[in-house]
Amino acid sequence: MLSGLIIGVGIIFYVFNQPHRNIQAIASDYQMKASTLVEEYFTDAILANEKYLQDEGESKIIAVTGTVASITKDLDQQQVVLLKDKNEKAGVSCTFTSETNINTKNLKIGETVTIKGVIRSGAGYDEDLELYEDVILEKCDIVNN
Amino acid sequence: MKKIIFTIGITGILTLTLAFTAPTVTKLVSKAGHINFFSHTAIEDITADNFKVVSTLDTETGVVVYSVPMQGFEFEKALMQKHYNSSKFLDTKKFPKAKFKGQITNITDINFDKDGTYNVSVDGEMTLHGVTKAITETATITVKGNKIIVETKLKLTLADYNINFKKGKPSTNIAKIIDVTSKSEYTKKG
Repeated sequence: MLSGLIIGVGIIFYVFNQPHRNIQAIASDYQMKASTLVEEYFTDAILANEKYLQDEGESKIIAVTGTVASITKDLDQQQVVLLKDKNEKAGVSCTFTSETNINTKNLKIGETVTIKGVIRSGAGYDEDLELYEDVILEKCDIVNN
Repeated sequence: MKKIIFTIGITGILTLTLAFTAPTVTKLVSKAGHINFFSHTAIEDITADNFKVVSTLDTETGVVVYSVPMQGFEFEKALMQKHYNSSKFLDTKKFPKAKFKGQITNITDINFDKDGTYNVSVDGEMTLHGVTKAITETATITVKGNKIIVETKLKLTLADYNINFKKGKPSTNIAKIIDVTSKSEYTKKG
């Protein structure tokens, strides 16, 4: 009786305090070129969202390979690496974390790299912004080949 | 006579150059803005942050546009984040982006060439959870060197956007009106 109660409380406690997914510890759902992912969104954004976004926000984990176009920092001091070829309209924006920021240190513009992260939103032309938005991946790290 | 023709020629070239370059330099882009949600009830405080906000600011026309990837909000607790994203609440798979487009009504009061803090009023439309509503808010624009920082703090009534919690824990633990603060940084074009 008492042990059942303890287990019950334990399960409730676990559910309410379950940890966030550790993106880098989970196998990628997809591996592809950055340009392929962008192209899928340009072809059919609804279909691509159906494929990559998940109901509870635990969306697909994707490893993308592309050319480093820029390396910047966001307001949370996280490194942001944009994978985009010169002739492309949009790319894949990869945001690192306080733990993985350091791994972008030796990246160079123009270099080809594979980065893994969780997708937050897709690419497309926004007529109000009057610009192309990039695919956004977060919780990123570089994948060692 | 030659001098006059020369002057007219130079003036003409300058005018043409300005005419072709001026319209494009006034629209600034920020690809890493920050938005925070804050909900306070007697039971608990809930907060979430998003650092992936894309926005534009046109310093000439005063037009501002924000595009927010809704799955980019991070909560302290994983369970809260799942609830927030689910079809019962923000339904972020169906509505992956929120948008605000508006107009700073007193844009001419701002001197973007002079450091300072300016209070502005913004009229616009917010689209969240598939619902579009007209809103009027205030914001602060800070000009500092080559940076322009736009900050807002507004109250958002969840029921206005068809986000309703009728029963259970969410109805008691989530505020009916939440605080939204945002900060976007722009770099002036040289």
